[in-house]
Amino acid sequence: MRHVPTGLIVLFAGLLAGCQAEQSALAPHGDQATEIAKLAWLLFAMAGAVLAIVLAAVALALHAPDRVRKRLAGSPAVIVGGIAFPVVVLTFLLVYGLSLTASESRGGTADLRVEVTGEQWWWRIAYPGQNGESIRSANEIRVPVGANVEFVLKTADVIHAFWVPSLGGKVDMVPGRTNRLTLRAEREGIYRGQCAEYCGGPHAWMGLTVVAMPAADFADWLEAEAATSLTPADDGAWAGRELFLGAGCGGCHTVRGTNAAGSIGPDLTHFGSRRSVGVDTLPLSPENIARFIEDGQHIKPGNRMPPFRIFSGTELAQLSNYLAGLK
Amino acid sequence: MTDRPLIYPNELPRPAGELEALQAAWKLPRGWRILSAVNNTVIGYFYIGTALLFFLLAGVLALLMRLQLAVPSNTFLSVETYNQIFTMHGTVMMFLFAVPAVEAMGILLLPQMLGARDQPFPRLGAYAFWAYCIGGLIFFGTLFFDLAPSGGWFMYPPLTGSEYSPGMGADFWLLGIGFIEISAIAGAIEIIVGILRTRAPGMTLARMPVFAWTMLVFAGMIVFAFPAVILATIMLELERAFGMPFFIAEKGGDALLWQHLFWFFGHPEVYIIFLPAAGMVSMIVATMAGVPLVAYSLIVVALIGTGFFSFGLWVHHMFTTGIPPLALGLFSAASMAVAVPSGIQVFAWIGTIAAGRLKFNTPALFVLGFLFIFTLGGLTGVMVAMVPFDWQVHDTYFVVAHFHYVLVGGMVFPLFAAFYYWAPAFSRTQLSEQLGRWAFWLMFAGFNIAFLPMHLTGLLGMPRRVYTYPADVGWDELNLVSSAGAFLFALGVLVFLLDAVRNLRPSLTETAGNIWKAGTLDWINNELYGLRSVPIVTSRDPVWDQPGLEDDIEAGRYYLPFTYSGGRETIVTATMDARPDYLLRLPGPGWTPILAALFTAAFFMLLTAKFVTVAFICGILAVTMMLVWMWGSDPAPLPPVDIGKLVVPTYRSGPDSHSWWAMVIIILVAASLYLSFVFGYVYLWTVTPQFWPSPDALPAISKPLTAAALILASSLLLFVGGRWLGQKLGLSVMLLLAALAMWGAIALTLESLWRSGFRPFDDGPSAMAYLALILQAQLALPLTVMAGFTLARQLTGKLDPVRRNVYDNLALLWHYAGAQALLGLALVHGFPRMVG
Amino acid sequence: MRRWRHWLRIAAILIMLAAGGGFLFAWSGLYNVAASSGHFAITEWLLAFVMQNSAEARAPLVNDPPPLDDPALIRLGAAHFQIECVSCHGAPGIKPSPVMQAALPAAPYLAAIDLKWSDKELFWVVQHGIKYTGMPGWPTLQREDEVWALVAFLKDLGRLDATAYRDLAFNTVAEADAKRRIADGNLPDMAQQCFRCHGSAEAAPISALVPSLNGQSPDYLVAALAAYAEGTRPSGIMQPMAATLGDDDRRKLAEFYAGRPKLAPASTAGSATDLGRTIAVDGIPDKGIPACLSCHGHDADASFPRLAGQSAPYLANQLRLWRKGVNTATPGAEIMAPIAQRLDEAAVDAVAAYFASLADDSAGSPP
Repeated sequence: MRHVPTGLIVLFAGLLAGCQAEQSALAPHGDQATEIAKLAWLLFAMAGAVLAIVLAAVALALHAPDRVRKRLAGSPAVIVGGIAFPVVVLTFLLVYGLSLTASESRGGTADLRVEVTGEQWWWRIAYPGQNGESIRSANEIRVPVGANVEFVLKTADVIHAFWVPSLGGKVDMVPGRTNRLTLRAEREGIYRGQCAEYCGGPHAWMGLTVVAMPAADFADWLEAEAATSLTPADDGAWAGRELFLGAGCGGCHTVRGTNAAGSIGPDLTHFGSRRSVGVDTLPLSPENIARFIEDGQHIKPGNRMPPFRIFSGTELAQLSNYLAGLK
Repeated sequence: MTDRPLIYPNELPRPAGELEALQAAWKLPRGWRILSAVNNTVIGYFYIGTALLFFLLAGVLALLMRLQLAVPSNTFLSVETYNQIFTMHGTVMMFLFAVPAVEAMGILLLPQMLGARDQPFPRLGAYAFWAYCIGGLIFFGTLFFDLAPSGGWFMYPPLTGSEYSPGMGADFWLLGIGFIEISAIAGAIEIIVGILRTRAPGMTLARMPVFAWTMLVFAGMIVFAFPAVILATIMLELERAFGMPFFIAEKGGDALLWQHLFWFFGHPEVYIIFLPAAGMVSMIVATMAGVPLVAYSLIVVALIGTGFFSFGLWVHHMFTTGIPPLALGLFSAASMAVAVPSGIQVFAWIGTIAAGRLKFNTPALFVLGFLFIFTLGGLTGVMVAMVPFDWQVHDTYFVVAHFHYVLVGGMVFPLFAAFYYWAPAFSRTQLSEQLGRWAFWLMFAGFNIAFLPMHLTGLLGMPRRVYTYPADVGWDELNLVSSAGAFLFALGVLVFLLDAVRNLRPSLTETAGNIWKAGTLDWINNELYGLRSVPIVTSRDPVWDQPGLEDDIEAGRYYLPFTYSGGRETIVTATMDARPDYLLRLPGPGWTPILAALFTAAFFMLLTAKFVTVAFICGILAVTMMLVWMWGSDPAPLPPVDIGKLVVPTYRSGPDSHSWWAMVIIILVAASLYLSFVFGYVYLWTVTPQFWPSPDALPAISKPLTAAALILASSLLLFVGGRWLGQKLGLSVMLLLAALAMWGAIALTLESLWRSGFRPFDDGPSAMAYLALILQAQLALPLTVMAGFTLARQLTGKLDPVRRNVYDNLALLWHYAGAQALLGLALVHGFPRMVG
Repeated sequence: MRRWRHWLRIAAILIMLAAGGGFLFAWSGLYNVAASSGHFAITEWLLAFVMQNSAEARAPLVNDPPPLDDPALIRLGAAHFQIECVSCHGAPGIKPSPVMQAALPAAPYLAAIDLKWSDKELFWVVQHGIKYTGMPGWPTLQREDEVWALVAFLKDLGRLDATAYRDLAFNTVAEADAKRRIADGNLPDMAQQCFRCHGSAEAAPISALVPSLNGQSPDYLVAALAAYAEGTRPSGIMQPMAATLGDDDRRKLAEFYAGRPKLAPASTAGSATDLGRTIAVDGIPDKGIPACLSCHGHDADASFPRLAGQSAPYLANQLRLWRKGVNTATPGAEIMAPIAQRLDEAAVDAVAAYFASLADDSAGSPP
């Protein structure tokens, strides 16, 4: 019997080897995810064993000699197979599961506290600054490797769920409540997450990126993130800045260091340093920024930014270059 | 095996014309008038056909989704269409296919299995079916007008509140589904009373077929589970229509309250669907193995245990909402415990197979397929009951895979097994073995190809309810495989349909008969009137154990081989030992049930579309139709009748009456609804303390005390009135005063709340206080109509100290309403004073 | 059953005979289609009967009207009537053109008859026109607000004499100005109609539902005219005007208006509320409503209109059109419509009142 579950695991592992998922609960890069992945393998092994036992019992009931079948055909067999056997297996699992629940719920002391607010359909992010102010950002979270990061999870509208499978389990963001989740990235890397609770409209495109970087790099980065936006490097970018302000982008977006101070959409102060446009919908590039400005409703249908088809080709290029330059 | 009885209830030969009179009483309406039929076989056919139609429609929606997800970044369906489609797929499968389908099997099979001539409330059954059919079709139709809901089948607010779902879609869900659930409850009442009171003489509870046990537990669970979601839908609709903020956090409501109420219904719902299917499996396994079911008593204990446990684990759908670890532990343990009863059943089936020799035919194949799929679904169920594992897989494709294994494995495969198994009992020819095997293997392979990979898709991070996904995350191949499997499964269903079209010849009189050599009464030749005579049952498998039973029944040697009143009749027996109790006269065909259903559906749907006046006209017409049909019930007592060396009365009142049982079940439904409300009230108090009124803000204590006095007086009047039946003036005055006192208490409470400055739109607690009144009025309104009806019976001489069921049932509900009102007063006026 | 079939057969034969006979009659050319030949009395009665019943049957489906005694609505209707309807239907003091009087049926001289139609019937007739009579429907079915303006005027028509009509439908001061400028060759002939409704440097627009164009950017005005002409910005009043203007004329008119000094605010500051100011200056971020002034402020892009001092009824009406999804096809409307849809009724009125009271938009620009 024992080789069956092992075979199953080999089969699953084989399937896994083929995919380079940066969003997999079975490819853990954080300690919570590692613990849960261990649990998952244990559960798969158990499930495989139980399934094998049940199938074997069916096979015996169908084809075994009468002597064996007689043993199966009675209340004692039902009590052993249907009560005693599950009770033993389930009790073991329960004890293991509860102790893991307890240890993972405690979370430990937080080295860094990041506030994440779910919005339809993006993530508002705030890091603590040195003087107690908060450093605002959006859609991409950076964390130091090895640090216990406590995520303070809220929502601005409907229920969302914060989930980065490679680092740990998910927690809902519920109106009127503040949930907390402590995760620790074990190694450098870029981990994809996604809103896991259906939140209407383009829920499918509410992705999230977590970048785990060495602690020293993180400190530098956070300092840069706290600063105001870069001044445009050339005339084209200056023109782009004028367009940005003139077309009313500041009504929704903030670019610190300019008049743009809107708080409806993602903060764009250091937009150019992020990896994606449209909340993990397109890779960041001036062309994709331009596409999203003009045609965001086709790229991410239902998102709350209206299409801006008021620019000429040159203007659009200037505007997207300016934004891409906001490192 | 017992010997043939020495003495039969009735002697042979039977008098001439007896059979003809029986046939005449049960004659079917011809042509299109068949729509006015109320007997269980016709309604059962319609019911199953309609449920199957919704299975196909929701299946097509699933195929559309699988097409959309076959490749990444697909634009085949728009976001909004996809969101509507997945919402409708889940909703239609759960509410319009799964529950009605098993309910339909119960309506169709139970009377035959139990040896009754029909269900105890044929018109209620017909009404329940038509309400479901008409309401369901309209609800499905919203998809074609872009009016379908898009909030997911569990409709979490605030996404489904008016702010984030401004259209009519959510209203269609709330009113449409709320109303279809009321029809499910009507069916449940029918099934419970049918099982408990119309079993063949001698069929004690311990001799009842397992399927009847499962239907009993099924119906009981509906009675306790559905009210919770009905209350939730009432609350969300009140929030959407009038702004009572039950689920809005910034106004002292709570979004999680919905989840608690919904899953208090939603988790038992899974077992509501699964248990009857397990019952069918038990019947099929025993027949195909050719031996009685092994461990019958353990199975019955397991069924009841499942029923109880399933109410204790609703939070396992909420492990990621930030609930404290202790609660997580409790619910995790309960979620695992519920696996044990399923284990018992699985091993009992295996034992039964081992005890006999399984015939490898299509029904058996579907049962074996079920065993494999359902066991796997159960195992992944244990996995998701492990809290940390659930943190990862919750709301992902792993869960999608899990519940399809449980539901398709646990319900669809047994249902198809049942189609193949019972077809010979209801059709001139059986279904094709060859096509059946094709259907099975295509469905089995298709299902596993579609859903097995989804476990992995979920673990690789794909959330459910996404209309598309990016290309580079590693989900592409898995999704393509799943899509292919879905179409293979659909092909299997198509083969079944082909088989049904070619071979199924439904008949009410000539059937292929007991080709499997089964042992239960449902296999004895059934006519429109059911069995020729109602047998004395001395075994769990009477056809196997009672030699000559079939011939004796057919010859008319058992009870009631005739019609006494010239109309339809069945024997009501005692709940526990099934001793004949009285002769129940049943109604024949009529138009009131279908018309009442039509107008009820129109009322709810027009209300949703905001045609308020027309809606209320339809509502009044619906009530009128029901009153017309009620007027014909409770016929005057006839002299006692000899049904076969046994004289039984034709009228009973009090707990002996089947109508008393129905009223008690209605009260249980109302009480579950109210207890859900009490839960909601206390729950909200624990989560939003800052919004709760200080005790001095409440109306003066004298107000609720006066209201309580009025309620007690009202109940007292009803109590005394029970002794005054037949005294026209006295009873009229009493009922009038009682109604005045009842409404007076409601008005007084309303006035005192309003005067003290509470407004239902201001905050959650105030909304809850008014909800108590709304729920009270929801009882007071039908009670007032019933009181008027009772008065009319009194004035026309249809009510007297003997013929008193109408009054007794009114009084029963009246007293319950009083008790509920007192609880409400204690809650709204006492609880804040007590704790604050 | 038999009898039933028998009658069915007879009916089928009769129908075939009638159809065949009708075709032969049409094919023969015997029927005289000349307008000059008139109708038989019975035909005339029957046509009127059909028309009356058709309108009556459909009127209940018409949405409820706005208050039809609103002077802004009546004046807008009057001005439009003077431009598009008067040649066929005449007006108090103006005889209808003999051309349409020679049509069959002749267009009724509305000032001379008693209009017995209900509000909704009139609306239905004006919006959809009438088959076989030459009465056209409204160029767009989307602008119910415009149709109601005409209905409001028609309801008012009965009490008007020639002078009252002239006062109502003409903008004497502005039109005199227009004529002078046209004569000088600075503006196209159409300018008279433009001035009549939109006013000029000296005169306010004819109705509070008509915007003042003074001081708007020429780019915005040219784009608006193009959108009207193409129907992407639906308007049964503006489309016929804009469609007949050539590119040069549009530019000339736009430059002219752009160069005019702004009029005094349409209302006083007292009528503005805090809500209106908040929406305009700060927006309501929780509801996804950005500050209006981020796009409509002093420094904003030339493709956006300036709103300061514009009349409140006009602004509110435009916002409601976006809310209803009437106007979503132009680049500007694509931006504005989703935002307007996030405003509730109270917010629409508040923000319209705020801009109407604003003399200068630079003051309110966000920091």
